[in-house]
Amino acid sequence: MPFSSFLNEKRDYLKELVSCLKKHFSYVSVLGTDVKSKRIVVNRNTSSVGEDSLSECGFVVKMHDGKAFSEYSFDTLDCSPQALADRILESVSVSSALATIECPVPRDEKDKRDFIRESDFEDYSDKALLEYATGLKDELLALDEHVLNAFVLIAPYTVDKLFISENRELSQHFGWCNGYELLVYRDEKIVQVREGENSHLLKDVLAGLPRHKDKLLDKAKHLVKAKPITPGVYDIITDPSITGLIAHEAFGHGVEMDQFVKDRALAKKFMNDYVASPVCNMRDGAAATLSAASYFFDDDGVLAGDTQIIKEGVLVSGISDLVSASELGTPPTGNGRRESFKRKAYTRMTNTFFEAGKDKVEDMIASVKHGYMLFETNNGMEDPKNWQIQCTAEYGIEIVDGKLTENYVAPVVISGSVPELLKSITMVSDRVTIEGSGGCGKGYKEWVRVSDGGPVLKARGKLA
Amino acid sequence: MRSVEELLKTQGVEFLVNTTERESYEMFFVHKKLETVRATCTTERTVTIYREHDNKKGNYTFKVFASDTEESILQKIKLAKEQCLLIDNENFALPAAETFDREIPSSLTSLPPREMGEKIANACFAADCYENGSINALEVFLYRDHITVKNSNGLHKTEHKCRAMVEAIPTWNENGDSVELYEAYHFTEWDEAAIIAEIDGKMKEVRDRYHAKKPQTEITAPVLLRAAELNELFDAISDDLNYAAVYNRSNCYQKGQNLQSGDGDQITLTRKGEIKGSRFSALFDQDGVTLKDTPVIEKGVVTSYHGANRFAQYLKEEVTGLLPCIEVEAGTLTEEEIEGAPYFECVSLSGLQGDLYSDYIGGEIRLAYYFDGEKKIPVTGVSISGKLSEALASIRLSQKRKLSGSYFGPEKAMLKGLKIF
Repeated sequence: MPFSSFLNEKRDYLKELVSCLKKHFSYVSVLGTDVKSKRIVVNRNTSSVGEDSLSECGFVVKMHDGKAFSEYSFDTLDCSPQALADRILESVSVSSALATIECPVPRDEKDKRDFIRESDFEDYSDKALLEYATGLKDELLALDEHVLNAFVLIAPYTVDKLFISENRELSQHFGWCNGYELLVYRDEKIVQVREGENSHLLKDVLAGLPRHKDKLLDKAKHLVKAKPITPGVYDIITDPSITGLIAHEAFGHGVEMDQFVKDRALAKKFMNDYVASPVCNMRDGAAATLSAASYFFDDDGVLAGDTQIIKEGVLVSGISDLVSASELGTPPTGNGRRESFKRKAYTRMTNTFFEAGKDKVEDMIASVKHGYMLFETNNGMEDPKNWQIQCTAEYGIEIVDGKLTENYVAPVVISGSVPELLKSITMVSDRVTIEGSGGCGKGYKEWVRVSDGGPVLKARGKLA
Repeated sequence: MRSVEELLKTQGVEFLVNTTERESYEMFFVHKKLETVRATCTTERTVTIYREHDNKKGNYTFKVFASDTEESILQKIKLAKEQCLLIDNENFALPAAETFDREIPSSLTSLPPREMGEKIANACFAADCYENGSINALEVFLYRDHITVKNSNGLHKTEHKCRAMVEAIPTWNENGDSVELYEAYHFTEWDEAAIIAEIDGKMKEVRDRYHAKKPQTEITAPVLLRAAELNELFDAISDDLNYAAVYNRSNCYQKGQNLQSGDGDQITLTRKGEIKGSRFSALFDQDGVTLKDTPVIEKGVVTSYHGANRFAQYLKEEVTGLLPCIEVEAGTLTEEEIEGAPYFECVSLSGLQGDLYSDYIGGEIRLAYYFDGEKKIPVTGVSISGKLSEALASIRLSQKRKLSGSYFGPEKAMLKGLKIF
């Protein structure tokens, strides 16, 4: 699929707009976005196909003159660039009495490039996807008499973005697809169990989803019998999604450098100190792997990065957007992201994961006298200032004398001190899995697509 | 260029058009200095086309952007008409013709957004008056929305409303150490005293968090939840009773089910369209249905489901519309009763985890007050955990009620049987 014809047609207009605003600001950039998304959902009773809520088309201008930054989001180009520039100047004006930051003007190095990552979404018609989803749904419903309902969801989206400043002109086109299947199962009580597949290729998602059928049913059968865990401190083995959740909540948010500017992150004080066990290595970056947050340049026009955050247990780097990097005098890492063109860019995670170690999963489980293996991210919450953590796993399986049992517990909340948890990691498996279907908020808003993951970890944690 | 509705009419289809025009003014402060100022002016328009075929009904939804031309919109309509034939859902009727246009008055519009934004920021900073406290970061958002729903039956409803939100990070610094709390405060009227009181309350809480300690011995006491957490809990319970969940067999609770088998205060909960002062208040939902307040739990027993037009028709239930607000009746718990015995009051949680399916309630505590019968001790570094069904059975609801988010109900609830560890 070629790059957005709409954005292509507007290049000259946007350059003219930048030129008009440059008379008033030292730094001006404009980001144009054209996102197309689709959502196909079927279940026992209903089906739907249509555009998903991710779809958007609009622009955001960013301006800076050594003091506060200004932004204006809009979606119509119904007047001349000069008239729009005048409207923007009026809209973002502030009282001269207001105290503002003072900040160096971001560098605007020359670069002109077009990036494309092909996907295969156009190979599949809505009809074909609906037939696929309906067939899979029927297979799921037929698995067992206790299956009340089955849902299949397929959601591909393509992102086209155009970034223009005085010296830079970048465009990117890429796509991603999430697929889910969910069973509603009743045997005395009701449980919902899910599995997912995601890729930049629909063919991978469609091939992957049916492979989870047996696992879904087995999980449902165990979870209807799951008991609450007896709260306490246990040896834990984390599956890659829980490993990723820990990476994301424990240290991902804590090294977002806009929090450094606000003195909101304890990590600022611990740079180059041990914050985790020496077997831990952690990275973040849109260019660090191919997953849901793999773009070519961020929403500030900074090329995608691959940042080592923890190296052998030592905190070595944070991640930043253009504004926080300018304020801190550090190079931006390509982590400036917006929920949409309507929202502000903040420092955000992309693909965040622990790196592989050397241990075998079976040896890790065998090393646990009594503990739990934890599975599937439910949600988590960061606390970058105070290094507390709360991560919820959908379920856990008890380990006794080095063996997984049939005793399931659900849900399981891991909480406690971040350094205590990370320093307790003693074993790291030799394979990494990254799941690209998550969403991440900053506080309780500003949702962006992220991925996280890593190897299987052995640690010690407080569970409830 | 013809409007979307005019273009839809040329195609002879049933349709629904949802439009939100939004203007915003936003200010972002770091250490009381303005870091970024933003303004937005955007329109979001979603079109759903419906088409009957073989006694079934298909629908297809697409977005229309300001950048679309008459030709591109017509192309989208024609594609949607075809795609509707792929969908075989039960038939239902769109809401009938009805029109109104209402402005919800708000004192937030009494000044231009720039001036109102500054006043709000100044009110927040006025509460930043403690020697060791500060607001490290503050974000102020002012929104003016024009929400319109139109359908092919002639329904045309518009609502104009304003709201504001501040996100503040109160911080406490002493002896080289520092702690913070998170504050998101939403309001629809300019009330300087209320803003100062809200932020001041959080400043005192963050001071207490600084002094809070992890208890050295296990605490056994009833747990008090505040209105913000009760909003989450009652939202989860009553959302489970919506028509779509019932139709799709994914609901956990059933009509007629008694949710409370113990001796606690019996819960009476009504889903509502409007609650005075709540930013969630609405007159109509996305289908344009005028919202009808509906009691869904009465004296602990599920009495009704609630929900949108389509699923109400499928279930042959009354159409209530999607009801955004929750009102819970007051209970019997008095302040005197609370203060008369030990309790563990949760002030700030990472997030209350209420899982109906797993019968679980719990969360990680960032700040709580443990009253041991004599003195109130700030506590941190612990979690609460227990069975939701047991917590509901014993729940005591305060006599005093409070607005929080989409909730108006008891200011506090006392739950027994939760483990604090």
